[in-house]
Amino acid sequence: MSPLDITLRDPETPRSTLGRPPDYLHEAHTLRSWFFTTDHKRIALLYLATITAFFVVGAIAAGLVRLSLIVPNGQIFTSDTYNKLFTVHGVVMVWFFLIPSIPATFGNFLIPLMIGAKDLAFPRLNLLSWYVFIGGGLFTVADLVIGGVDTGWTFYAPLSTTFSNTYVVPALIGVIIVGFSSILTGLNFVVTIHTMRAPGMTWFRMPIFVWTHYAVSLIFLLGTPVITITLILLVMERSFGIGVFDPRLGGDPVLFEHLFWFYSHPAVYIMVLPGMGVISEIVPAFAQKRLFGYRFVAYASLALASITFFVWGHHMFVNGESNLAALVFSLLSFAVAVPSAVKVYNWTATMYKGSIRLQTPMLYAMGYIGLFVLGGLTGLFLATLSINEHTHGTYFVVAHFHYIMVGGTMLAFLGGLHFWWPKFTGKMYPEAWGRVSAIFIFIGFNVTFFPQFLLGYLGMPRRYHDYPPEFQLLNIVSSAGATILAAGYIFPMIYLIWSLWFGRQAPSNPWQAKGLEWTTTSPPPTHNFETPPTVDFAPYDYPLRTPADV
Amino acid sequence: MSTQLSIAHDPAARHALWQRMRVPAFAFVALMLFLAAIVGLGALAPSRTASFIEIGLVACMILTVLLFSMEVRLETPLMRFFALIGFAWVGILFGMVLLDYLSR
Amino acid sequence: MSDVTFPVGIDVHEQFANADQQRHAAQLGMWIWLVTELLLFAGLFMVALVLHIMHPGSVRAAVLHFKFWIGAANTAVLICSSFTMSGAIMLSRMGWQRWMVRCMLATAALGSLFLLLKGYEYYLDYAEHMMPFVGQPYALEGDPASRLFTNLYFVTTALHGAHLTTGVAILLWMAWQAHRPGFLQARQNRIEVYGLYWHFIDLIWIIVFPLLYVVGR
Repeated sequence: MSPLDITLRDPETPRSTLGRPPDYLHEAHTLRSWFFTTDHKRIALLYLATITAFFVVGAIAAGLVRLSLIVPNGQIFTSDTYNKLFTVHGVVMVWFFLIPSIPATFGNFLIPLMIGAKDLAFPRLNLLSWYVFIGGGLFTVADLVIGGVDTGWTFYAPLSTTFSNTYVVPALIGVIIVGFSSILTGLNFVVTIHTMRAPGMTWFRMPIFVWTHYAVSLIFLLGTPVITITLILLVMERSFGIGVFDPRLGGDPVLFEHLFWFYSHPAVYIMVLPGMGVISEIVPAFAQKRLFGYRFVAYASLALASITFFVWGHHMFVNGESNLAALVFSLLSFAVAVPSAVKVYNWTATMYKGSIRLQTPMLYAMGYIGLFVLGGLTGLFLATLSINEHTHGTYFVVAHFHYIMVGGTMLAFLGGLHFWWPKFTGKMYPEAWGRVSAIFIFIGFNVTFFPQFLLGYLGMPRRYHDYPPEFQLLNIVSSAGATILAAGYIFPMIYLIWSLWFGRQAPSNPWQAKGLEWTTTSPPPTHNFETPPTVDFAPYDYPLRTPADV
Repeated sequence: MSTQLSIAHDPAARHALWQRMRVPAFAFVALMLFLAAIVGLGALAPSRTASFIEIGLVACMILTVLLFSMEVRLETPLMRFFALIGFAWVGILFGMVLLDYLSR
Repeated sequence: MSDVTFPVGIDVHEQFANADQQRHAAQLGMWIWLVTELLLFAGLFMVALVLHIMHPGSVRAAVLHFKFWIGAANTAVLICSSFTMSGAIMLSRMGWQRWMVRCMLATAALGSLFLLLKGYEYYLDYAEHMMPFVGQPYALEGDPASRLFTNLYFVTTALHGAHLTTGVAILLWMAWQAHRPGFLQARQNRIEVYGLYWHFIDLIWIIVFPLLYVVGR
């Protein structure tokens, strides 16, 4: 047996239920202790439950959209219902699931643990941001489900201001409110990361997860206020006809698109960057190797967060912006590929000659890398002016951003959920089921969305509920894939909840991973560490191995 | 109340307060002068050129408030960074949007 | 000067290691909040700028209807209030709690004066039919694009007014808290942090006034 195998063995025997050290979950059991908590770990779990509920709403809408698209002539739903369904899907998934998903749950839970702090800097603000989130979210979801909105998640003027006869204003108000939750979360993270690091926790000893969350928080802070004011103007436009987006009075709908995408393109990186942080934790842990090019990955996160503010015009190439602006935006968009590729190369190089364990989180991470590459490369196609002319507003775009958002963010979310589930709950999930569902999701996802690249390239436009009959085969394949994908989502919901009662007790560090969060007990005590930690080690401090060991 | 007034009339205390209030007083006077210039230009000689001068004066006022009233000049580099980054991002927004509008 | 000066400090919350860390965090938190405020208003400034570019004539027609002198007077009022707020901060650092409260009340009074003048200005706008969204005939009916700038003026000034109203309310609340001895010993920090907010609201108005009332005349 080589020395490596010994280090891979779980060094701890699981604790029995009795006599366990105090932890944040068992400190109190009342509803009050949950709904008025200021503990970042409990707030993270509140977020986890909330976004899962929103995810279910959005997923059901997606399922109905795919159901409708099985037949070419739109017989299953009326076109109005279809428009409302894809709007539910888009609004809920983007605003209420993807944007808060990883930061509000994992970020909330892990940032103080990873930097060795007792809590976030402003715990009450943290709780407030959850209430703001659930308040705005429920308001909008109720509006979307009961009343219905048909504008899509982008709320483009003049459709949303002049032509739509649905309940646009309440939906906008909910989205505006939820924006404040993002801002408060981002503010809390930035202040915490700047001021509350444990002694010895220098910037270049922080895990990449913290770096990416710092970058994401900057996007929250610098982008969200602009979407807030833009949507306020939209509410004013629809309610009072102020006219700034109304061409009949001399206003300009393209101005709405500029302001909208100033936030909403960076929002893509709000969704993707935290996922990159998760992958940067999982890959070294399951390869038992130091992260390759740590500093490059850290800087690439900041680079993405800044470059992303210069590229929004690539959503508007055919919408009336000037040729010069289109040219500049197109060029700058290519620049985004550089830091993204840096990260992909570094993860791959980390795996190279590592001793890889293919447990569930690693399966998700590897799926993520593959799908992110595909999504990223098709993004380059779309950033090319001439190809964009052909593919703009088609299923090619739909497939592209689903590869980034589902293939990227969703897989990272699930990978991270399995990776840190023992830390969150103190229980292990069933490994076999985890692997099965990871494979289901990977296959289901590709079967669902790869045909959409083909459909888009052949010219099928997005957001229509009827299409020429020759597209039916690919649509049926896509819908069939969606059912596999759905199964892959349902499994974890069942077995993770099952594991809360019947799962094996988790040791402090089930993956032999490095990082401060694994040095405390699972689940952690209320103030995170029994003794305040001092950091005197490098990040990803995995044993250095000479080629002879491998 | 009487002790309060006595303090206000205590020369040493007044001197200490004045020491501290010198910078805010300077900022106050500077802002008022800038404002007078902007109002004067706008009221008496409105023109395209005047608009650009006014924008320059506004920039001076912003700097005065940031550096002196809000004491950015005494702050740590971190606070200075966050005082600046917002304006930098406004610059990105304006720059990229104007790129479109000025080249249509 | 011992009987009316109070010790100055802050109560440390349990998540912080020491008072310095807490003070630093609060200061940074407020600066970051102000960054978001700036970008919030920047959206409106952007629209104003685009309107200046797209419809210079209509913007000029609207600007000439705005109450230039009330706007100028209000700017002066806010600059004065910034000065009294600076006074409150300095006094809080010296521990002169009662004089600090007086400065805070003066600041709140100036803020209220601003709001009163603003209200009067809105009344004049209404009387002159410069409120296109209330359903009365509009003074510049023949110039539809001027509506856009007029409406933007209302959105911007209302948003600023909301911030100022919040500011006055918080100021009065803190002044009420500070009328008892011991406030500065436990919460001096709040005055510092709040002072940043007040100055920044002034700064926003310093941008709003020229952009809406002066440039493009």
